[in-house]
Amino acid sequence: MPAKPGHGARMLPSARLRSGLLRVFPAMILIGLAAWEIARVRAAPGGVPGDEDWDTAAELVRTQFQPGDLIVFAPDWIDPVGRLHLGDLIPLDAAGRMDDARFGSVWELSIRGARAPEATGEMNIETDTGGVTVRHFVRPAAEVVTDLVAQVGKAQVTGERDRGPTADLFEVGFAPHRCVLVVPRPDRTVTITYRGIALGKELVGYVGLADVFKRRDVRDPGRMVVSVGEQEVATVTVDNDSGWTRFAAPTAPGTGDVTIALTAVGPTAKDRLLCFAAEARR
Amino acid sequence: MRPWLMATMLGLVTFALVIVQQRDVGITRDETIYFAAGDRYVDWWFDLAHGRGALDEASLNGHFGGTNNNSEHPPLMKTLFGLSHRALHGGLGVDELTSYRVPTAALHGALVAIVYLWTTAIWGAAEGLVAALLLILMPRLLFHAGLACFDAPMVAVWFGTVAAYWKALSSRRWAIVAGVAFGLALATKHNALLLPFGLIAHSIVVGWRGMRADWGAWRGEIAGQAAGVKLRATWRLFVRRQWRHERLALWAMALVGPLVLIALWPWLWFDTIAHVRGWIGFHLNHVHYNYEYLGDNWNHPRFPWHVPIVTTLYTVPVVTLAAAALGGRVLVARWWRDRAVQLRDGEQVSGVGAVEWPAMLLFLTAGVAIGPFLLGSTPIFGAEKHWAPAMPALAIFAGLGVVWAGRQLGAAIAELRPTWRDPLSTAGDGMKRLCLLVVGLCVCAAAAVEVRAAQPYALTNYNALAGGAPGGADRGMNRQFWGHSALGVVPFLTSEAALAGRSLRVYTHEASMAWPWYQKFGTVPSTLVDSGNEDAGVNSSDYALVVHELHFNRHDFMIWKAYGTVQPVFVLRADGVPIVSVYKRPPKPAPAPAPAPAR
Repeated sequence: MPAKPGHGARMLPSARLRSGLLRVFPAMILIGLAAWEIARVRAAPGGVPGDEDWDTAAELVRTQFQPGDLIVFAPDWIDPVGRLHLGDLIPLDAAGRMDDARFGSVWELSIRGARAPEATGEMNIETDTGGVTVRHFVRPAAEVVTDLVAQVGKAQVTGERDRGPTADLFEVGFAPHRCVLVVPRPDRTVTITYRGIALGKELVGYVGLADVFKRRDVRDPGRMVVSVGEQEVATVTVDNDSGWTRFAAPTAPGTGDVTIALTAVGPTAKDRLLCFAAEARR
Repeated sequence: MRPWLMATMLGLVTFALVIVQQRDVGITRDETIYFAAGDRYVDWWFDLAHGRGALDEASLNGHFGGTNNNSEHPPLMKTLFGLSHRALHGGLGVDELTSYRVPTAALHGALVAIVYLWTTAIWGAAEGLVAALLLILMPRLLFHAGLACFDAPMVAVWFGTVAAYWKALSSRRWAIVAGVAFGLALATKHNALLLPFGLIAHSIVVGWRGMRADWGAWRGEIAGQAAGVKLRATWRLFVRRQWRHERLALWAMALVGPLVLIALWPWLWFDTIAHVRGWIGFHLNHVHYNYEYLGDNWNHPRFPWHVPIVTTLYTVPVVTLAAAALGGRVLVARWWRDRAVQLRDGEQVSGVGAVEWPAMLLFLTAGVAIGPFLLGSTPIFGAEKHWAPAMPALAIFAGLGVVWAGRQLGAAIAELRPTWRDPLSTAGDGMKRLCLLVVGLCVCAAAAVEVRAAQPYALTNYNALAGGAPGGADRGMNRQFWGHSALGVVPFLTSEAALAGRSLRVYTHEASMAWPWYQKFGTVPSTLVDSGNEDAGVNSSDYALVVHELHFNRHDFMIWKAYGTVQPVFVLRADGVPIVSVYKRPPKPAPAPAPAPAR
C-alpha cells in the first residue's frame, strides 16, 4: 500500500523498510557490479609487467648468469616475452631439454605469482623488479654419463619403419624436446640397441607422440619398452594426451646394453611419431 | 520518439561503430576465401544478367563448385561481400577491405534495430533500448560484426526469422516473411538448420491449449460416427491445425525457405540433392581444429560439455550476464505469479502466459543455438561465434533485468522517501525514470569499457570475470584464431625492410593466406615477400612470425632450429599477453680469418 504523501517517512513500518531495501538491492547489485567490472577491466593490463620491468629483471640475471644455467619463465604464456629479453642466454639444447635435472642452477622469472615447475632447490636470490619476480635456485645437478639421443647414430636399429631414427628438436606435448623420432609401421616394432654404453645408477627417459596434427588424426597409442641387458626395466604406453611421459629404472654402474623397442600399437596405428630421450645418470 | 526512428538511429550507430572498429582488425584466414569466392559469384551474376552463358554447367561449376569456390558454405553473404566490393570500392572508392566488410556491418545494424523494435513492441521502449545497447556492447559479437564472415550475419538473419515467426503468430501474412527470412538464414550458414527445432517446440507450447480444445472437439465429433465421417472429421482437424498461425509459419519456412536458398545458390540449380548432401556432409564430418580451453588443447571429441557455458561467462560483459539472469528471474516470477492467480481463480493452467510466450521463444531458440555445443561431440573451435545466435536473447533478458531493477529502485525510493521532490516530473514516475537512467548508464558503461578493452584483438580478450586478456591466458583460454593479429607486426616488419634497404622474405605463418590480400590492399609493402609454408618457408626466410596459439608452438620450434636462436626480436602483445612473435635470422658468423702466411 503506498504511503500517504507527507506522512510516509514518519509512519514507515519496519516491514515497509525491509521491502524497500529489498527492492533497492537488484539495482545496487548491478551498479556495484558495473563499478567492479570497470575497475577490473581497466586494471587488467597493469597486471602484466612492461618491457622496462623485464629489462631490469634481465639485467639482474645477466650480471650473475653462468653458462650452463637454466632460465625458465612462468606462467608459460609469458615465455615469448621472457625469451625476447633473455633468449640469447638460452641455447637450443636447454630450450629442448629432456628435463631440468642436469641443471644445478636455475633462474626463474615469473609474473602474477606463477611458479615454474623447474624452480626447485635452495633459493638464494628473490627479488621483484616491477612485477617480474627473479628467483635463483641451486641444487645438485644430475650427472649424465650417456645421452642416448646423442648416441643414436651409433646404435643398431632393426624393424619396419616409415621414418627414423632421427635426433632433432620436435614438438611433443606442445613443448620442445630434443629427442629421437621413430615412426614404426602399423603394428610393428622398431628396436634400437645401444651396445656397451656407460651406465650409472639410473636410466631416466621420456617418450611421447610428436606432431599435433598426427595426434589429432590418429588415435592409436604407441609403446616403448626399455631393456637393460636382457631385463625389461620399463614399459610406457603413450596416447595422444600423454604428453612427455617419464620413466626411470635403476641400473648397475659400468657398461651395458640398452634396448629401446618402440611399437605403433594396432593395425591402424599409422604415423605414430614416437619420440624418446633417455640419459644414463651417475 | 517513434520506435522506427529510434531503431533506425540505433542501426546507424551500430553500423558506424562496426565500420570504425574493424579498421584495426587484420584480415582473418576465412575472409580471404570469402573475398575471392564473393568476387567470383558476382562475376557469375553479371554474366547471367548479360546473357554470357552463365547457365551452362561448366560455368556454374567454375564459379560455385568445389572447395576452390567454397561450395561448403551457402552463398548469400559471399555474394553480398562481392557486390559490396564492386559497388563501394569499384564504384565509390571505399577502401577494399572495408568494402568487403560493409554487408556484415549493415546486417549487424539491422539486427540491433530489429531487437529494439521487437523488444519495444513486447515489453516496452526502455527494455528495447537497453537490450539494443547491450547487444551492441558485446565485445566478441562486435568483433565478428566487423568481418566479412558469416557468424554475425547469421545472428541477424536468425533473429530476423524469430521475429518474423513471432509476428506470424498474429498475422498469417507474416508467415511468408518468416519463410523468406528462414531462406536467407539457410543461405547464410548451415546452423540455420537448428532454428526450426526451437520454433517447433515453441509452436507446440503456444498451441497446446488450442490443440487440446481441437482434440476434444474432434473426439466429440467422431463419437459413434461411421468411418467416412471420422475420416472427414480427422481431415478437417488436420487442416484446422495446420491453418493455425504457428503451424502456418512453420509450413512457410519449410516450403519458402528452401526455395529462397535454391534461388540464391546457383550451385543447387543442378544435381540439387547431391550438392545439398555434399554441403551438409561437409559439416557433419568437419575436421576438428585445435582449440585451447582451460589449459588443454582440444581437437577431438569428447569435448567438455561446459565449453559454451564457461566461454560465454568469460566473454560477455559481466553486467550483461548478471542483468540477463535478473531478467530471467523476473520473467519466471511473473509466470509463477500468473499461474498462482490462475489456480486461485480456478482457471485451467495454460502452462505459459501470453507475456511469457516471447520469453519462451527466446529461451528455446537460444537453447537450440547453444545446445549442440553441450553434447561434447560438436566441434568447439569457433567458440562463441558458433552459438552467437543466442546473444540477442541474452541481451533482451538483460534489458528486462536492467529496466526492472531501475524501476524497483525508483519505486523503493519513492516509497521510502515520499516527500522527496521528484526531479524530473510531477507525474509520479520521474524518480523511476531517473533510477532507470542511472542503472542503465552504469550497466552500459561497464559493457562499453569491456568493448573498448577488447578491440582490436577481441579473440584474445576475456571479460572482468576472467581478468581480461591476462586472466584469460592464466586460465588457459584460447588465445586467438584466424591469424588476424599478424596485422599488428606489419609496421615493425616494414621498418625492418626500410632499414635493410631491400626486400625481406617473411615466414608469415597463419597470415600466409591473408598476405597477398594485405599486399593487394596496400597494407603490406611489396618489400615484405611471403617465403612460403612450413619448413621450406622458414628455411628460406629472413624474418619469421608465429601467431601464438597452443598448437602453433611447433612453428616456434621450427624457427628455432632454422635460425639457431630462441630469441624473438619483437613480441606483439594484447594487454601484456603475447599474440605474435617475430624472429630475425641472425647473420651468418663471419668466416674465421685465414691464418697469416708463415714468414
